[in-house]
Amino acid sequence: MITGIVTFLVIFAVIGSILYGQRLVKTEKSDAVFGNPERAKGGLHWVVVGSSFLLLSWLYYSWDIAKAFYPKSANELCQVAKVNESLLSLKYLFPIEERQHKSTALIKRENINIQKKIILIQNSPDLKDKDKKLFIDLLNKTKKTIPLLTDEKFLENKTKNKIGELTNRITWLTEDFQKINYPPIKSIEEENKRIEALKKQLGWGATGMEVPPLPESKKGLKFHAAAQELNEISDEFFSMRNHNVAYVTLIKEIRNEIKEYQNELNDDQELEMTLIKEIKKLGQRIEYESVFPPNALNEMEKSIREFDVAQKKEQGNLIYVDAFLFPAGTIVASGPTCAEDGPGRWLPKPSDTFRIFGDLLKPSVGFKMIPMIWYEMMGVNRIVGFILPDWIADIMPGKYPVHSSDGTVKPNFKSKVLDIVTGEFNAFKIPVPTGHIWDSFLRVFLGLVLGIIFGVPLGIFMGLNRFAKGFFDPLVELYRPVPPLAWAPLVITVFGIDNLGKVFLLFMVSFSIMIISARAGASGTQLSKIHAAHSLGASRWQILREVIFPNSLPEILTGVRVAVGMCWGTLVAAEFLAGTSGIGFVENVARKYMQYEVIWITIFVMGMLGLLFDVTIRKIIDKTIPWRGKG
Amino acid sequence: MRKIISFILGSLLALNLSVSVANAAANEVRVAFFLEWATPNQEAKVKKTFDKALGVPVKWTNFATGGEMTEAMLSGDIDISYSQGLTPFVNAVNAKAPIKLVDIAVIYGMGGTTCVAASGIDKNNASSKLDGQKVAVPLGTMADYVFKETMRVVGADISKMKVVDMNPEDGSAAFVNGDVAMACLFGGKSIKAAKEKGASLLTVDEAKAEGIAGIDITSVTNKFLKENPGMVRTFVEVTHEANARHNAGKSDMNIIAKDAAMDLAGTKKQMSGFEFPDAATMKSKYMNKGGILMTYLEVMGGMFATSENPKLKDYSKVVDTSYLPM
Repeated sequence: MITGIVTFLVIFAVIGSILYGQRLVKTEKSDAVFGNPERAKGGLHWVVVGSSFLLLSWLYYSWDIAKAFYPKSANELCQVAKVNESLLSLKYLFPIEERQHKSTALIKRENINIQKKIILIQNSPDLKDKDKKLFIDLLNKTKKTIPLLTDEKFLENKTKNKIGELTNRITWLTEDFQKINYPPIKSIEEENKRIEALKKQLGWGATGMEVPPLPESKKGLKFHAAAQELNEISDEFFSMRNHNVAYVTLIKEIRNEIKEYQNELNDDQELEMTLIKEIKKLGQRIEYESVFPPNALNEMEKSIREFDVAQKKEQGNLIYVDAFLFPAGTIVASGPTCAEDGPGRWLPKPSDTFRIFGDLLKPSVGFKMIPMIWYEMMGVNRIVGFILPDWIADIMPGKYPVHSSDGTVKPNFKSKVLDIVTGEFNAFKIPVPTGHIWDSFLRVFLGLVLGIIFGVPLGIFMGLNRFAKGFFDPLVELYRPVPPLAWAPLVITVFGIDNLGKVFLLFMVSFSIMIISARAGASGTQLSKIHAAHSLGASRWQILREVIFPNSLPEILTGVRVAVGMCWGTLVAAEFLAGTSGIGFVENVARKYMQYEVIWITIFVMGMLGLLFDVTIRKIIDKTIPWRGKG
Repeated sequence: MRKIISFILGSLLALNLSVSVANAAANEVRVAFFLEWATPNQEAKVKKTFDKALGVPVKWTNFATGGEMTEAMLSGDIDISYSQGLTPFVNAVNAKAPIKLVDIAVIYGMGGTTCVAASGIDKNNASSKLDGQKVAVPLGTMADYVFKETMRVVGADISKMKVVDMNPEDGSAAFVNGDVAMACLFGGKSIKAAKEKGASLLTVDEAKAEGIAGIDITSVTNKFLKENPGMVRTFVEVTHEANARHNAGKSDMNIIAKDAAMDLAGTKKQMSGFEFPDAATMKSKYMNKGGILMTYLEVMGGMFATSENPKLKDYSKVVDTSYLPM
C-alpha cells in the first residue's frame, strides 16, 4: 500500500521537476556563456529527479513495485516455476533451449574420449602388448554399444510403447490444461484440506524472503497440478532406459571381461587397474544416459513443445508481469518451495529494508544483542578513571595502606587518590551513546582527530624545514603507498582485537594524508605574502600562525575530506577482521547468515554517516576559510 | 536531454535482458573445495580420475568458508560444493537458496573443530570463568555450532560472554596473544597453534558422548542436478571409491597432503579423526528419517534461524539420497 503511494509520488515528482526545469529554461534570463560556472548554479529540482530516480530503480529492481501492485503474482509465478522445473530435465534432452540434443552432444564427446583413450593406450610404453590388445578390444566394444542404442531396429516394442504412452500423457495434459475446469476436483475432503492449508499460508515476503508455495488462485492451481503430473512423467521417463537385448548382452560381455581381467590383476599393477576402471566408467557413462535412436523421441519433443506453447498461452498477462515487473530474474522453484532469483534475492525491497531497519533500531532488539544506536547510563567516575592516568597515585607521598592485625584495611591519602584516578568512587551518572553505529563513528572520529593532531604540525614542519623534510620523508613515503589493510594482520597481533588496533589502523590512514596535505599547503604559500609579513616585522611564530597556517588551511581541510572517505573504507575492513561491534561487523555477520536486508542497511547507514561527515566538514570549510579560492 | 533519457532507457532494457546465461551442455564441472582439509578424493582429483570418469574437465576452486561456496553457487559459478559444512548449508537453505544435499563428505570428531580455552579454564569451571570474557568464534560456521553446543554442555551462558567474530587463523593468533579467553576453531594449523597456550574444553570422546560431531556434506545446485543427474551420480561414485580406498588403507597420503597444502604428519593426524561412511551406512544411519544427519539439520536449522530466514518446516526436502551409489 505504502509502496504503491510512494511509487506514484516519486513518478509525479520526476514529471513535475522535469516540467519545472523545462519552464525555467524558457523563462530564465541568463547571459552566462558556456563554460561559465554560473550555469551550474541552483537546480534543486534536478536533485529531486536524481533521488527519485535512485528510489525508483530500487523499487523496480527489488521487485517491490511488483509486490505492491500485483501481490499475488509471486504465488502464480511460483506455480509457473514449478512447471518449468518439472520440465527442466526433459527439455534439456532436446534442442529447445539448447543447440543440440543432449544425447548428440554426449555421443560426440564419448566417441572422442574413446578415440583418445585408444591412442593413449597404443602409445603407452609401460603396458604389455597383451593388455594393450585387450584394452583396445574392450574400448572398441564399448564404442559398438553406441549404435545399439541409436539404431531404430534395436528399439524394443516395450520401450517404444512406453515412449508413446508418456507422449500421449503429455498431449492429453496439454489438452486438459487449456480447459477451464482443470484440474478436476478429486474429492471434497481433499479440497477442504487444500483450502485449510491455504488459510495458514503467509503472504509474499511476510517473513522476509518467503514466496508462498501453495497455489492461491485458479490459474496457479492449474500450473501446480500440471507440474505434479509432469514430474511423474519425467520420473517415469528417466527411470526407463533404452537397454535392448543386444545392448544388454554386449555390455554384460564387456563387464564380465573387465571383471575377469580385474580378478587376475595383482596389487602392484596400479596402471592396469586404473585404466580398466576408466574403461568401465566410460561404458557406464553411456549406460546411465538416456540415449535413444535419433527419431524415436520426435513425437515426444513435439508434445513438449506444444505443451510449452500452451502453458505460455495460459499464463496470459502473467508473462508481461514477469517480463516487466520482475526485471533481470524471476521466481524459481526448487522442489515444493519457491524463491526469488536474481536481484529479488540480493536486492531487498525498500519496504522490507526499512521495516527491518526499524526493528534493528529498537534498543531491545539490535544486532547480536548490541543496539544499533542507543544510550547507556555511565557513572562520571568511569570517565574520570579513564582520563586520569593511574601513576598520579604512585607519585603521591607516602605508602599504600597495609592491612592491620585486626583484619581491616584503613584507607589513607594515597589510596584515596588511587581510588579517584581508577574511578573507584560513587558519582552521578550521565547518558552516553552506545551501539554499533556509535562505535564505528567513534573509531573514525578518533582516528581522524589523532591523524590531524599529529599529521598537520609534522606536515607543516616538513614543508618548512630541511632537516624535518629529509628525516621524515623516507618514513612517510615508504608507508604511505601501502594499502592500510596490508597492516591489518599485524595490527591484531600487536594491538590486540580491541578498539586500539582499529583506531590505530585509521590513524595510519589519516596521518599520511594529513602530512601530505599540510606539507603541500605550507610549501605552497606565496612567497610575497611571507616577505610582506617579514618586512612588517613579524616574528617566526607570527609568520607561521598568521601567514603560513591560514594559507595551508584550504589544503588541510581538503585533506580532511579525503581522509574521512579513506577512513570509512578502511573501517569496514578492520571491523571484518576482529568483529565485536560496529557497522562492518554487522555487515560481515549478516553476510554469513545471508541477511541481505541487513547488508543493505549497513551500506545505507555508512553512506549516510559519510555524507554527514562530509557535509559537516564542508560547513566548517565555508565558515573558517572564506578566502579559499580568492587568494 | 532527449539523448540522456534514451540512454538511460536503453541501459535499463539491457539490464532487464541480461538474465543469467545457462551452463548449456555442461562442458565442464565446477567444484568448490577446501584447502587444509584432507579428503581421500583429493587423490582422485590430482590423478584426474574425476575428469576421466565424468568425460569432461573438472575445475576445482578452493574457498575459505562454506558461506562463500554458497555465494558462488548462487551466482552460477560453482556446480558442486564438496565438503561444505552443515552450518553454512543450513544457512543457505534457510534463506531458500536452490541447492540440495546429495552426499556426506566427512564426519569428524572434535579433533577437526574445537573450542580451545586458556589454561585454568576447564569444563567444570567454564560456566563461571567464561562470564564476561571475550571468546573468538567464526560465526556462521561449524565452529559456531560447536561453540554453542559446547557451552550448552558445560552450562555456560553465551549471552554473558563477548563473542568476537574472527576467522580461525585470526582467532588462534588472538588466543595466543591472550586477547580472548577461548577460541573456537577449525583447521589443523590454527588448532595446533592455539593448543600451545591452552587445551580443548571437551576431549574428542567427551564431545562424541554428548553427540557433538561435525558433518561436511556435498551440495549441488538444483539446476545442475536437474540437467546433469548422471554427472552428479558419477561424481559421488568416484568420491565413494576414493573413500573406500582410503578406508582400506590404500590412499596415497603424499598426494593428498600436497594437494591439501599440509605436511604428511599433519594430514595423517587430521584424517585419523575423519570418518568416511559408505553409502549403505549413510542410508541406514544418517540420511534416513530420524537419522543423525536429519536430526542435525533440525537442530542447526533452529539454532541459526533469523527473523528473515526462519527454520524450514521439513529439511528432508533439501536432502536427496538417490545419487548415492547402490
